Amino acid sequence: MATALILLPTIGAIIISLYPQENQLKTLTAIISALSLIWSLYLLKIFNLSDPTFQFTEYLSWAEPLGLSYSLGIDGLSLPLLILNSLLTIIAIYSIGEKIERQRFYYALILLINAGIAGALMASNLLLFVIFYEIELIPFYLMIAIWGGEKRGYASIKFLLYTALSGILVLAAFLGIAFLSGNGNFDYDAINTSSLSAQTKLILLTLLLVGFGIKVPLVPLHTWLPDTYVEASPAVTILLGGILAKLGTYGLIRFGFGLFPDTWALISPGLAIIGTISVLYGALAAIAQKDIKRMVAYSSIGHMGYILVAVAAGTELSLLGAVAQMISHGLILALLFHLVGIIERKAGTRDLDVLNGLMNPVRGLPLTSALLIGAGMASAGIPGLVGFIAEFIVFQGSFEAFPIPTLLCIISSGLTAVYFVILLNRTCFGKLDNKLAYYPKVLLSEKLPAFALVAIIFYLGIQPNLLTRWIEPTTNKMVAQITQTYSEIALK
Amino acid sequence: MNGFFSETIWLIPLYSLIGMSLSALWSPAIINRTGPRPAGYVNILLTTIAFFHSIFAFAETWQKAPVYQSVTWLQAAGLQITFDWEVSSLTICALILITGLNLVASIYAVGYLEMDWGWARFFALMGFFQGGMTTLVICNSLFFSYVVLEILTLGTYLLIGYWFNQSLVVTGARDAFLTKRVGDLFLLMAVVALLPLAGSWNYNDLANWAQTAHIDPTLATLLCLALIAGPLGKCAQFPLHLWLDEAMEGPMPATIIRNSLVVCTGAWVLIKLEPVFKLSPFACQFMIVIGALTAIGASLIAIAQIDIKRSLSYTASAYMGLVFIAVGTQQSQTTLLFLLSYAIAMALLVMSIGNVVLNSITQDLSQYGGLFSRRPITAFAYLVGAVSLVGVPPFGGFWTMAQMSSNLWEDHPILVGVLLLVNGLTSFSIIREFCLVFGGKSKPMTVRSPEGLWPLILPMTFVMGISLHLPLILSKFNILPWWDTLNINLAIALIISTVIGAGSSAFIYLNESISKPIVLKPKFVQDLFAYDLYTPQIYKVTIVGVVAIISNAIYWFDKYLIDGAVNLVGLLTIISGQSLKYNTSGQTQYYFLSILLGVALFVGIICLPLITPLF
Repeated sequence: MATALILLPTIGAIIISLYPQENQLKTLTAIISALSLIWSLYLLKIFNLSDPTFQFTEYLSWAEPLGLSYSLGIDGLSLPLLILNSLLTIIAIYSIGEKIERQRFYYALILLINAGIAGALMASNLLLFVIFYEIELIPFYLMIAIWGGEKRGYASIKFLLYTALSGILVLAAFLGIAFLSGNGNFDYDAINTSSLSAQTKLILLTLLLVGFGIKVPLVPLHTWLPDTYVEASPAVTILLGGILAKLGTYGLIRFGFGLFPDTWALISPGLAIIGTISVLYGALAAIAQKDIKRMVAYSSIGHMGYILVAVAAGTELSLLGAVAQMISHGLILALLFHLVGIIERKAGTRDLDVLNGLMNPVRGLPLTSALLIGAGMASAGIPGLVGFIAEFIVFQGSFEAFPIPTLLCIISSGLTAVYFVILLNRTCFGKLDNKLAYYPKVLLSEKLPAFALVAIIFYLGIQPNLLTRWIEPTTNKMVAQITQTYSEIALK
Repeated sequence: MNGFFSETIWLIPLYSLIGMSLSALWSPAIINRTGPRPAGYVNILLTTIAFFHSIFAFAETWQKAPVYQSVTWLQAAGLQITFDWEVSSLTICALILITGLNLVASIYAVGYLEMDWGWARFFALMGFFQGGMTTLVICNSLFFSYVVLEILTLGTYLLIGYWFNQSLVVTGARDAFLTKRVGDLFLLMAVVALLPLAGSWNYNDLANWAQTAHIDPTLATLLCLALIAGPLGKCAQFPLHLWLDEAMEGPMPATIIRNSLVVCTGAWVLIKLEPVFKLSPFACQFMIVIGALTAIGASLIAIAQIDIKRSLSYTASAYMGLVFIAVGTQQSQTTLLFLLSYAIAMALLVMSIGNVVLNSITQDLSQYGGLFSRRPITAFAYLVGAVSLVGVPPFGGFWTMAQMSSNLWEDHPILVGVLLLVNGLTSFSIIREFCLVFGGKSKPMTVRSPEGLWPLILPMTFVMGISLHLPLILSKFNILPWWDTLNINLAIALIISTVIGAGSSAFIYLNESISKPIVLKPKFVQDLFAYDLYTPQIYKVTIVGVVAIISNAIYWFDKYLIDGAVNLVGLLTIISGQSLKYNTSGQTQYYFLSILLGVALFVGIICLPLITPLF
């Protein structure tokens, strides 16, 4: 069942690279990823809500002496992210302009990314996770380096170095976990870190934090992000920011919070501070930007910080909020980058000082502007949209554990409004230059992904239960396990 | 409660939202085929339905106990958010007021925006506002009150930004959004902090909780101040008042709604929260002080404005200041009546002024004059609005203000002074506008200025009728404060303050021998009020400046220090690699030397434990 989500895009990538008709590649890729979306929705439908553990499990022993096994499983933490992955792949396919060079290669890589991320999300063996986590880098590196902007060489190398380092650190931590705790088995359910000494646990957890912190990214490990997001094409940015970055927070929750509960509790005040710094830093740096894509990139750093604060707080509600925020941020960021991509293609610039008056109903891009207003407001946390409810759950859940960081996060959501108002005022409002404004029309195929995302953002904002119900059992269980660990420690 | 209309009260916000969605269809797709007008008609139809629905519901609930209902909206991980609503004659009365004024303003917009191309956007936003305000009125939960206030902040941004290609409009929209957002965020902090303490966001539960709660006084004060901050922004109180002034760049029909109803949304939440404020006497004092400062300051600023709309907007701020005083002294019943009479009078004043502005093209008071003979209906409407706003018996404003002063007299005699002063200053200010617009001789801008189209005049005269009848309507329902509950001396003092204010204003501005414009000596005092107490400059050097400096500093730090460090590491790697490549020289001796050195080093390290004891 679960393997299909890896197999389908992989086979798809092979078909794409062999398919004779060049002009049908886009549709074919879309069909393949739609199939995997439908399959993941089917899994959602038959997902058993009362079971918080891994479902649809598969086990195949692979290299037993190494402790590597092909074991997959889906729980409430990975299920929503899997759906997000399949959805954003389709969006990404349609956020590419009409014509790209070497499209066969491009579409095959997109499908490989889809397969890799799905694999990482479903893996229930540490080594298997690392394999998928590292495999991801190659297609991303190629996509940035080949189809990127002007400084793509610099950006792609920076991305590769940073994320490779992230992978090495994670691998080191995993090897440490498996070998130091004695059994050499990498399966999730076989791992028990309680036999390790406090120092060892702290060292291993720090490795994980830095490793996943690069991927998230957390300040000050973030400098690969603005360059990469700006230089990569919109499709790559959607996949990078929308779903790949979520692997970092997923790792923090699954391995940091899940495997080292007592150490996590020990350092959580520090983590909350790092999270808050990321939140404020991202928002403030975004205010100073002149390039709308770079602005959105910095905003992403800020929004990912909320997740760390929530995971640090470690209450049932805040952990739920963290996962909800991952989904909401993925959707909103994808919409923002998609729209910014449209504006860049049509208006030919991303410069705030040049853009003006796109709301103009005759010459401008009124619909794109309207959608951009919606996306910006969703990101700024206006109620009725999914961004608000995710942030609200984060705030409410973290408040009792960390009141001051939470209040600072709330203030920062005000700063979010500041840069989005700057962005909207400069791009959508104002007077359109009649001499220069001969923009190409926005095609239906470009509008459709935006409509789909807006509809989902809006619908989940009105009906948040639909988002939280899948996540809740698993996050509740994780928190319950941790409280149990605490009480055991207290008893000793 | 056993009536169809009162049981389906939740339909009223829904009508508006349906209207909004339908109107939005004309933007800009269908416009090419039908023109923009059907968007407006659809919306007006739905507003009419909402209006009559509320009237029928009122008949069903009159003199019945309030009914509270709720549905669960979100239940997750121990957090339960319910949408609670209240069906009572009070809430339905507010619904009638909102839908009624919205209907009137929408019809007015048909005339006012006759040649505009953005109907779909405008009417969609009107529907949006109506939906928001009606939800706010029926909801009985602080959480959803916050949600609605925040959504309305977005609505304000879009509605003020309606004519978005003018630069003043764009800055006005930006400032309105950000100022209100500041207030909203404090409110959000309070909402988040209140749940662990009170366990509920339901207003009734909060009131019960506040009676018995024992919480740290500092915490209580902080909490109450944060709760006040939201309404503070909405009601355009000092220091968050500037947005209302800049909002006057938006279209006039929206101003009707904004000045009369939207500013009251904050007051409504404040009234709902009144029991909670009892936790902190300091917060109540704060509310009173802010209210008094705004009331006096804003009415003085109103006098110094030469823009008609801005002058009215400061009057709105001043009256909301009185609301803050009233809530701070626990007079919610009086406050509600006060809001009712205020909303109708203010709507009437704005409509009448809009009528003049539309075809005289200017908003500059100094270019007006002598319109009374040309536009008698508008002039009468303005006068009716004026007398209903300030203390003139037997009109609406008089009764509520008289009751407010009677309530204040026992404990806060100074506030009665404030009330009388504000009444006097407001009388001066609105009569000043009347005299400058309608009195005196014609000026070039007012020579050709006939009465407007029927969509402008009809709603205006309708509101005029309501305004005149308001005391009768109130006494019919036995809620008009009558003489036996009022302090007669204070009522007389109120009348005297109106007469002094209005009389002196009329004397100055109708007297041809006094040269205009009047310049107050010393000049800096006049400038102080004319330039809104220099608030824009204060914002610029404080909050705006600080945020700009910090964000630029952080960006600099990011670009040169953090990224610089990363690039430096990269550079060092390259340099070291580049220099090490010169090792590969090809000379055998050189390789031999390096092997020898390596072996020596290796042996040295291994033998280190053996060597160390020797020293």
